[in-house]
Amino acid sequence: MIAVLALLAGVVLGVWLDPTVPAALQPYLPIAVVAALDAVFGGVRAKLDRIFDDKQFVVSFISNVLVAALIVYLGDQLGVGGQLSTGVVVVLGVRIFGNVAAIRRHLFRA
Amino acid sequence: MGDTQDDGRERSVRMYAPDFLTELFRNPLDPGYADAAARRAHAPVSGWRAWPARSVSLLVVVALGFLFAVAYEQTMADEPGRSQARSGLVAQIKQRERETDRLSERADQLRAEVARQRAAALSGSQAARLRNLEAGTGMGRVRGDGVVVRLADAPDKADAVTGADAGPSRVLYSDLQGVANDLWGAGAEAIAINGQRLTATSTIRSAGQAILVDYRPVTGPYEVSAIGPGSMKQRFEESRTALLMREVAEKTGLSFGVREAEDLTLPAAPEPRLRYAQPSVSPSPSPSGADRSASPGPSGSGTSTSPSGGGR
Repeated sequence: MIAVLALLAGVVLGVWLDPTVPAALQPYLPIAVVAALDAVFGGVRAKLDRIFDDKQFVVSFISNVLVAALIVYLGDQLGVGGQLSTGVVVVLGVRIFGNVAAIRRHLFRA
Repeated sequence: MGDTQDDGRERSVRMYAPDFLTELFRNPLDPGYADAAARRAHAPVSGWRAWPARSVSLLVVVALGFLFAVAYEQTMADEPGRSQARSGLVAQIKQRERETDRLSERADQLRAEVARQRAAALSGSQAARLRNLEAGTGMGRVRGDGVVVRLADAPDKADAVTGADAGPSRVLYSDLQGVANDLWGAGAEAIAINGQRLTATSTIRSAGQAILVDYRPVTGPYEVSAIGPGSMKQRFEESRTALLMREVAEKTGLSFGVREAEDLTLPAAPEPRLRYAQPSVSPSPSPSGADRSASPGPSGSGTSTSPSGGGR
């Protein structure tokens, strides 16, 4: 419950402040969002599995976002940015799918 | 595969990472959670020591919401850029079209005004002669009985399957050319295609899929209206184009019809743009005399138009 409120507070903050993303960071934004989603669904699943851990959640979120951004940056420098971001999205997407499926099993027992 | 399954089950005994994708699909959750849970089971964290970690994780959730909002706004800000450009162009086109319509309407008004003033200034016989010339050359609106030739594209039938026959079952610009030419040949004195009056300098051309009459696009169904003598329909029906089009219509499903029409009104053609010829300013008898002698063809048609021209 508190987490949902915090999420809403973040959204409100983002809408209210309306920051402009520097052009250099713009390509990393979508990847960062996907990485963050992965961390969120992992956290929710862990919560439902009753093994949620704050430290693990924080570290996984930060490292996910940073590593995803780093991979895309590296890909850009090597000239394979598009392919590498596809790889990142595939891996994170698979994880999100798997975690959402586990959450679904928890919630609906199906 | 059996080995990796065993590995998955006995995670504690696992010595090497199994096939990465298999592991990813089977166990998408970060293994760190399980490890942390195991650690907690050994040494439970008391309430007050858990607070810093909890607040940090709440901060992270706030940051998450912030990130989502920013990314959403960013995407939304990018998206309109594309569609805005498109809709902006569309709006510009629409506006220019409206402007063109307004201007051409005004041009028509002014032309009518000029004609009225001229008629008032000229003597009766001269005005009548001018009107006849205008009617014959397409510069003036004409009224009279004649025929209407209607051409329409064949309906799209199984276009996706047999894309090949979609081509010939459309009305081509050359069909319109042929119809117009044979109507002239059958004695037409004034012709308009979809309300676009043809003159001696009119063009019927194609540009991609569109047919342009005097550089203005016309779309199907095409109606070629012609004013002429009563025998025109009969003569046109016997012409080559009519026979050809009947056959084409039978074979491809394109529609082609000729009917007589009473009291057609054909609009005036837009003023021709003279590029090379310049109107010479000289005493009025000499140009009119030169006009009479230099252009027997138009003057012939002009005199024959006189009933319709006089009827306005």
